[in-house]
Amino acid sequence: GSAAMAAYLTHQQKVLRLYKKSLRHLESWCIHRDKYRYFAVLLRERFDKNKDLKDMVKATELLRAGEEEFWANQHPQPYIFADSPGGTAYERYECYKVPEWALDFWHPSEKAMYPDYFAKREQWKKLQRESWEKEIKQLEEETPPDGPKTEALPPARKEGHLPPLWWQYVTRPREMPM
Amino acid sequence: MDLPMILNISMLLTLATLLTPLLSPLLVKNYKNSPSTIMQTVKTSFLISLIPMTLFIYLGMENITYFWEWKLATNFKIPLNFKMDQYSLMFFPIALFVTWSILQFTTWYMASEPQITKFFLFLLTFLIAMLTLTIANNMFLLFIGWEGVGIMSFLLIGWWHGRAEANTAALQAVLYNRIGDIGFILCMAWSATTINSWDIQQLSPLNQTPLLPLIGLILAATGKSAQFGLHPWLPAAMEGPTPVSALLHSSTMVVAGIFLLIRTHPMLHSNPTALTLCLCLGALSTLFAATCALTQNDIKKIIAFSTSSQLGLMMVTIGLDLPQLAFLHISTHAFFKAMLFLCSGSIIHNLNGEQDIRKMGGLQKTLPTTTSCLTIGNLALMGTPFLAGFYSKDLIIESMNTSYLNTWALSLTLLATSFTATYSIRMSLLVQTGFTRTTPTILINENNPAITNPITRLALGSITAGLLITTYILPTKTPPMTMPTTTKTTAIIITLLGILLALELSKMTHTLIKPKQNPLLNFSSTLGYFNPLTHRLSSTQLLTTGQKIASHLIDLSWYKKMGPEGLATLQLKAAKISTTLHTGLIKTYLMSFALSILIILISSTQ
Repeated sequence: GSAAMAAYLTHQQKVLRLYKKSLRHLESWCIHRDKYRYFAVLLRERFDKNKDLKDMVKATELLRAGEEEFWANQHPQPYIFADSPGGTAYERYECYKVPEWALDFWHPSEKAMYPDYFAKREQWKKLQRESWEKEIKQLEEETPPDGPKTEALPPARKEGHLPPLWWQYVTRPREMPM
Repeated sequence: MDLPMILNISMLLTLATLLTPLLSPLLVKNYKNSPSTIMQTVKTSFLISLIPMTLFIYLGMENITYFWEWKLATNFKIPLNFKMDQYSLMFFPIALFVTWSILQFTTWYMASEPQITKFFLFLLTFLIAMLTLTIANNMFLLFIGWEGVGIMSFLLIGWWHGRAEANTAALQAVLYNRIGDIGFILCMAWSATTINSWDIQQLSPLNQTPLLPLIGLILAATGKSAQFGLHPWLPAAMEGPTPVSALLHSSTMVVAGIFLLIRTHPMLHSNPTALTLCLCLGALSTLFAATCALTQNDIKKIIAFSTSSQLGLMMVTIGLDLPQLAFLHISTHAFFKAMLFLCSGSIIHNLNGEQDIRKMGGLQKTLPTTTSCLTIGNLALMGTPFLAGFYSKDLIIESMNTSYLNTWALSLTLLATSFTATYSIRMSLLVQTGFTRTTPTILINENNPAITNPITRLALGSITAGLLITTYILPTKTPPMTMPTTTKTTAIIITLLGILLALELSKMTHTLIKPKQNPLLNFSSTLGYFNPLTHRLSSTQLLTTGQKIASHLIDLSWYKKMGPEGLATLQLKAAKISTTLHTGLIKTYLMSFALSILIILISSTQ
């Protein structure tokens, strides 16, 4: 099974995050690929040297020193992918992502232009209304008493039921506008 | 043949042709604009505008047209006044040519945009506002154009309004321009009260213009043309789509401030303080922008800072009292800067939205036309002999060298010229040469004529525009003819030094030394620490002052100290002093009685 997202990070997760971000900033510094590979191998060797350390106190101290070294050596303009937060194309098409309930506000004359689509849509909406109670009941039963342990939603358990919160997934907006 | 009438009619026809796509949906039933019709309109307009330009070149014909007057007050005239002189007659064809090429490019670049026609209409409205600004003879009409380009800039920068950064950048542009508008309105108010007119003609006969309106005009130019102090909006304006950057923030809108100073040049001519201010401000702007461009990694930001630097150079030319040369630089700059932006747009789109030059490389083989034109644009920008930029840039540096003006401004400008060469070569090297650093899963091609035709057209303009304009338009002031060889070749030598610096830095990036942060890199990377300092300081100061006024001044001072608490403290002080006198000792009281009786007796006997 997949690892659940807990409220804290394990030591392994912290070390791996430090490694990845230091690699990304190294890539921002060393533009040419051969130079980057040289320094990336050296960096990996530094991480691998202390890989098998069992003393958690020492490991945490090393991690702290590593984070400070990262902060001192970070790149002022790190390379960010265009679609990532902070990138140049992030949220660029948000203005075209209209939610699906806006279709309900169309004028009847406009809806009459696409009769098949809106007839089918009424059937889908009826299905959603019917299965909502069952989805909620399933979620209430399956959530542990002190809150959910993970963000993943469970699949449908019974015959003829739909997975919980399927409507949000099915009616999510397109990534790129048409 | 009534040639003045032909001049007049063809200029007005140019403007009328541009209004057609905006008015036709209102007049013709079921008329729908499309991107190609708007592009054809601008092309037609360009061809028509060649007629008045030819008339001016061959006959030196200029014109001032006086239309309808807005009868607001009896003695204050606000007419619809068009001035078709050297500047507007030359600017029209150039702006229309550049816009035509950009619109043709946009049909490819924004093809996947759902509201592409609206985008084209926005660009058209911007163009109309810009041309109104250019052709205006009085400050009121100029201000209409000025505000029009500001508003369209806001709408176009924030085109993708779902993106928070784009909205912030658009707001930044509007606010900085507004600060400049304060200066403009100051000048308008001064001229309305002093010479009772907003005509630019009537400003010239003044022998000695006071400094106040000139400060206003320089502030307006600082805001609109992104001089140092009001410059952060220009790099932030790169949030808009690339055609917007190419049209507004390189060739046309940002030169509006400089254009205003060229139009009101007779006023500046008589005031040496204002000229020195322009010179120093321009020199500082050009060096600051060139320093910031050295370490930028986003291709659009490099070109944006390059624009900012060239605007500083134009301001320097105004400071040297050479408006015609500044206009020449505006004209040549429009060609190669728009071309640089279009080439960068072609590269960005082909790499699926990648704007960082650290992830580009080796594009010479895959995008031959685009990269050749990028090289031509960079060479023109650096002032390579006999390309377009040479005719204007070299003349500016020569005039500056031979005039006995500010040495500090001169050294800053020369340093900025060498930095121009450095960052252009750095950009070219990282984008075009070497092994590719892009992701392997992209499809690159430039088979579409909508890409190659505009870029090659502008490349042709970049190569020939300088020569053509200087051949046909004679300078009004004699340029310096004789100078020592070192002075003559200063610009070339400085540029070559800059190129050497760039090649040395590029060699350093290949050597296996781990790069680190250092103070110079940090200064350049964070754009001189200007943005966080001004944006945060000014707003926190304003808000804390407001809070202090609201809480301390009103609540504390007026309600407490002037009222009950103040009275109470006064009473307390008086009570404390008098309490010390209430000692309760009878002898002291008897002494004070005796003393006062003695004083009364002595004073009454005299």
